[in-house]
Parts: sequence; structure tokens; C-alpha cells
Amino acid sequence: MGLRKALVVALLVSGCSAPQPETPAPAFNATDVMFLQMALAQVEEGDQVAALAEDRAGDPALRTLATELRGQWREESGTMERWLVGWQQPLEPDPLAGAHAGHGDVHSLRPSDIGELEAARGKTFDRTAVTLLLGHLGNCVETARMETAGGLYPPARTMGETVTSRRQAQVRTLLKMVA
Amino acid sequence: MRRRFALPALTVAATAAALLVGVSPALAHGYISSPPSRQANCASGAVANCGDIIYEPQSVEAPKGSMQCNGSGSRFAVLNDNSRNWPAASVGQTVTFNWVLTARHSTATWEYFIGNTRLASFNDGGAQPGATKSHTVNMGGFSGRQTVLARWNIADTAMAFYSCVDLNIGGGTGNPPTNPPTTPPTNPPTTPPTNPPTTPPASGTWRAGVAYAVGSVVTYNGRSYTCRQAHTSLAGWEPPNVPALWA
Repeated sequence: MGLRKALVVALLVSGCSAPQPETPAPAFNATDVMFLQMALAQVEEGDQVAALAEDRAGDPALRTLATELRGQWREESGTMERWLVGWQQPLEPDPLAGAHAGHGDVHSLRPSDIGELEAARGKTFDRTAVTLLLGHLGNCVETARMETAGGLYPPARTMGETVTSRRQAQVRTLLKMVA
Repeated sequence: MRRRFALPALTVAATAAALLVGVSPALAHGYISSPPSRQANCASGAVANCGDIIYEPQSVEAPKGSMQCNGSGSRFAVLNDNSRNWPAASVGQTVTFNWVLTARHSTATWEYFIGNTRLASFNDGGAQPGATKSHTVNMGGFSGRQTVLARWNIADTAMAFYSCVDLNIGGGTGNPPTNPPTTPPTNPPTTPPTNPPTTPPASGTWRAGVAYAVGSVVTYNGRSYTCRQAHTSLAGWEPPNVPALWA
């Protein structure tokens, strides 16, 4: 009995509605999808802070970091969207899935945070931007490390490693700015 | 046949594991960025070989009430290790602590300690923090090298977040003495330096309250220093803090 036949028999016996036996094992898993969806949402949120910092920061080093970050985010998010579309997965997390329930809000940048940054002037602006970026990039690193730990799709895992090392380098720079 | 049924079960388990992993970022929340806390010094690379804390300086979460830098949790014991060469920020009697938050929890209180002395407590009454969070704290007369323990007590859980900040507290100037008040002897000592009045602890560990002569060699945090100016040491004048005295 060939493997394929055995699988068909097994599925029939189990009472499942048999999928195509030719269907290959999935090339991605739930963690890959969650990583890409969460990372895209984090780019969209964080870019509001980075755009303001790029435009208004008094410290040139902070403006440079914001420009670099925005460029990397554009590149990363293009790839992430392409993968999700290819997998026919939504670009945004399913609000009904429950996986994000209860903590999505406290880990997100709120409109009030962006509002405080917009209203800040001078040194207070720089300090607020650095503080918001440090917190947000910390969350980005955690999302990326989740992918490295539990993702299946090798390019997405590599992306997790790239995101981790890029965001960590930026965290190091920002921490040195405020130390 | 039976074996084949194990496959779907495994898939379910893998999905559940993935979801659990996905939930884990909720454990991370905040730390003090300036003056740099121990976890900030690890994440910035100022202190090497800290382990996993470099990825998540915001994750030092443990039940409330601990007096340990890692909150007596199961992770990040490196933060309790006083033998690490933690840089100490030079400050005056009034210090402003700035937090970085990755989650904005309803907050009960923020507390600051040196040893068992509580320097300050700020009651937020369950409010959520804003974009930034800072506290200005009086050092209560403490001076020299000190470690401040900060605790962020969450309002709606049994947990707190811990941050230790190493400081070199000056007498209000905000800086350690670059010029020591003890003037070097204008007249050379009658006793030759090979036989100084107080025997320098040759290659001993640096201590406060010791009269060091020029040329005395001490070790501090694994490094060796040579005395440049005769002086009686004080807490806060640790060799790495006072280049005028030690090289």
C-alpha cells in the first residue's frame, strides 16, 4: 500500500472530509501569520512616531535614526505583505481569534501618545520621541523573537532575526542617547 | 493505522504552542532608561554578557514586594550580581528617573528604595501612565555609590516590575570630586615612599576609609588601579569614578 493510499484510507476511516491527498504540508504556521500581522501593525503605529521624529527632532542623531528606521520598515513591510497575500491570509490580525485579546491595547501606541508627542516642544519633544520609540521597538523585538522561536517558514524566521538585530541596534543607540 | 491519527493531534498541539508563544510578549512592560538601570546598561551594551535581558529589558516582572533587582524572579539573576562592573551615574541629591514603558498598565504605586529605606512613593490610584513617566526623587542624604531599587506596582495584578539603578551620589553638585579636597603634600614625606606611614594594601581590594599613598595598588571590580594622589578614601571615590586619584 502506497503512502498516498494509506493516507486516503486513514482519512476515510477517520470520517474527515478528505482534502486533496496531494496537498503538501503547509509551508507556514500560525506563528508566521501572527508575526507578520503583528509586525505590520507595529510598523504602521511606530511610523507615526518615527515620521514626527524625522521631521522635528532637535538632535540630528535622532533624526538620522528615524530616517533609517522608516526605510527599513518600508522594506520589511513590503515583504511581509507579499507573503501574507501569497498565503491568502488577512493583513490584519483576526479580532475574533482571541490570541490578541486583552493585551493588544496596552502594548499599542495610543492616539493620546501621538498627541502628546505632537504637542511637545524642544527637549521635551526629543525625550518623548526617544521614550516612545524605545518602548515600541522593545515590543517589535519581542514579536520578532516570537517568530524566531515558533515560526515555520524559513524566510520569515530569517526576517525575525533581521528585525531583532536591527531593532536592537536602534535600542542601543537610543539608550546611549538618554544615558 | 493508529499512528496516522496522531498527526492531527500533533498539529493541534503545535498550534496551541504557537498561540502560547504568541501570548508571551504580554509579560513585558517597562524599565528605567535614565539614569540607566542595570537592564538598560545590558541592552545598550555598556555591560556585556548579560544573557537574555538584552532582548527584553522591560521584562523584569515578579510578584510584588521583592527587594531584589530581578524581583526574586526565576530569570535575569545577572541583575542581582553586584560583582558586575555596573556603571554608576553621577548625580546630585535630587534625581529624575525616566521610565520606558512597553505596556501601559493601570498603576497602583511607583516606589524607590536604597537598602531598606524607602526614598519615595508615588500613588497613581489605578491610572494608566501617559506617553512618558518620570519621577523626581530626593536621595535622602545618601551619598557615594548606591543602588536604587525601583518598583512599579501594577494595580490590577499581583505583579510588579523591577529596575535597579546604580548611582554615584555627590553632595549636591551632581558630580563626583574630580579634584579631591585632600591636597597632595607640598612637602615630600620624610619617610621614603617605599615605607609609607600607612601600609597600602598591596594588590588588595579598594575600601573606603583607607589612607592611600601614591603608588598604592588596589583592585576594584576585577581591575587594577594605581593611586595618583595620597588621600583617605570615601564611599563614592571608587577608583573608576575618580580618575584624579586612580589610574
